[in-house]
Amino acid sequence: MFANVARSRLLPMSLPFRYFGAAVAFQAAAWALLLADARALGTFAAGLGPLFAALHLVTLGVLAMAAIGASLQLLPVATRQPVRAQWAAKLAWWLLVPGTALFAAGAAAYAVRAMAAGAVAAALALGIYGVLLFANLRGARGMRVVVAHGWAALACLAALAASGLALVARYEHGLELDHLALRNAHLVLAAYGFMGLLALGLSNFLLPMLAVAPPPAARRASAVLALAVAGIALALAGWLRAGALAGLAAAVGHVVLIENSLRARLRAPLGPSFLLVRASWACLVASLALGALMAFDLAPAGAPVLFGLLLVPGWLLTFLLGVMQRIVPFLASVHALSGGRPLASSLTPPRLLAAHAALHVGALALLLSGFHVAGAAAGLAAALAYAAFFVYVLLKARHHGIRPRHQPAAA
Amino acid sequence: MAFDRAISRQLHEEHVATLALWGRVEHSLAAGALDAALMREAAAMLAGEIERHFEFEETQLFPRLAAAGEGDIAELLVEEHATIREAGARFMALARAEPPPPELRALAFELAERLVSHVQKEEMALLPALDDLLDEQADRELQLAYAS
Repeated sequence: MFANVARSRLLPMSLPFRYFGAAVAFQAAAWALLLADARALGTFAAGLGPLFAALHLVTLGVLAMAAIGASLQLLPVATRQPVRAQWAAKLAWWLLVPGTALFAAGAAAYAVRAMAAGAVAAALALGIYGVLLFANLRGARGMRVVVAHGWAALACLAALAASGLALVARYEHGLELDHLALRNAHLVLAAYGFMGLLALGLSNFLLPMLAVAPPPAARRASAVLALAVAGIALALAGWLRAGALAGLAAAVGHVVLIENSLRARLRAPLGPSFLLVRASWACLVASLALGALMAFDLAPAGAPVLFGLLLVPGWLLTFLLGVMQRIVPFLASVHALSGGRPLASSLTPPRLLAAHAALHVGALALLLSGFHVAGAAAGLAAALAYAAFFVYVLLKARHHGIRPRHQPAAA
Repeated sequence: MAFDRAISRQLHEEHVATLALWGRVEHSLAAGALDAALMREAAAMLAGEIERHFEFEETQLFPRLAAAGEGDIAELLVEEHATIREAGARFMALARAEPPPPELRALAFELAERLVSHVQKEEMALLPALDDLLDEQADRELQLAYAS
């Protein structure tokens, strides 16, 4: 049936899963690198080295990587637009994976030239993704709130890539740039801008969908987006206090909106994935509250490290892992062969996922409490549990007869 | 979710009713009960859904979806209909038994998950696409066809 019609919005399984697989590997590498240099974490401020490399393995290798893979498949559903050039999505992966590895290796080894080459490859990959995202959003129909978040995230991505290249150019060529301002802008654009807005936008339809709940009212979600964008713009303009407060209000508003939506859900159990999502929201709000204290010069000593931990592994990584616990089996089940479509639950190892959630939350708690070595070790164990989950899904999918490549079913 | 076309809204309302009933089934099963009356209610609703809702989608909506270049999604939904029909037939047979046999529990869990997952896909992919594909005239014709 419909055998001669090209599959439009449903991508071949290998396309998003190559991004997910790379993110699995980079996450384990990031935690291993953090563990190797965990004793230096308490005094980490900036500069190259293993901790800087671990940070970028997470941001570029895990967060951006998985976000690209997931949004390539999910945004077309929200926007009713297909990915127009699958080859470009593949090319972006081929640039982003070696680019991230080279950038991180160069940063860890203080080899600025290698790092610069990696940064250029990663920036090219993000540029290609940006073009794909632009093309998708330009023709978007429906889900205006998600689309608006997409535009805002895209604008942040463009500025993020520019600020990242400027920072690398400063290291390599000694350009005279306001390093602190540029670094702060890069952080805000990456964590709250590109990644944060993409996460908030997709949450507006993905989380209610997973929980079988009504989505938040578009007007309220748009107001939250406006607050978030205002917070980012204020922070970029140097008004950190106002920016942090606006961001905090947006974060609280977002959490309230989604929680209200989840309360009206038609399925009772949310599972361990939502435990991670809720932990990530707590970290998001805490990061902005701490950021506000820092902006008002009220923060305790060691606040910058705590802020970074709340923001990157706390908010962004934890949210991503919670969502991926659900998306990976769901997408794998969608690609089953005719006549044998497995249930997503049959591709999901519940004990392994519960162990992963416990280890990851435990790692966060240890890191935030100052037990950096134990926290990094728990984080590595969690990353390995997550890798085992990913391999389990792939093996089970294969066992069930998942289409290995994008093929129309027999008529 | 708000839909522009009347037929999309009608199918959406039926989806909500399906989710609500199978949510109750899941909740009841998770609490350790195997409520015979609830199982029969679910079987009756499923029978109606397969006969009317599935049939309508397969004959009237999926071909339009395929013609608009969304054949992949139509194909996926047809495959899921077939799987649900097969599991549903076994469920309806077992639900008639008094007392309900123990194997009904696993089958009910399976159907609940399959139906929820199927509804999620239709809500995300089918109904929004219909809003784009149908004009008012086609919408009215489909409403009449569904009502007949």
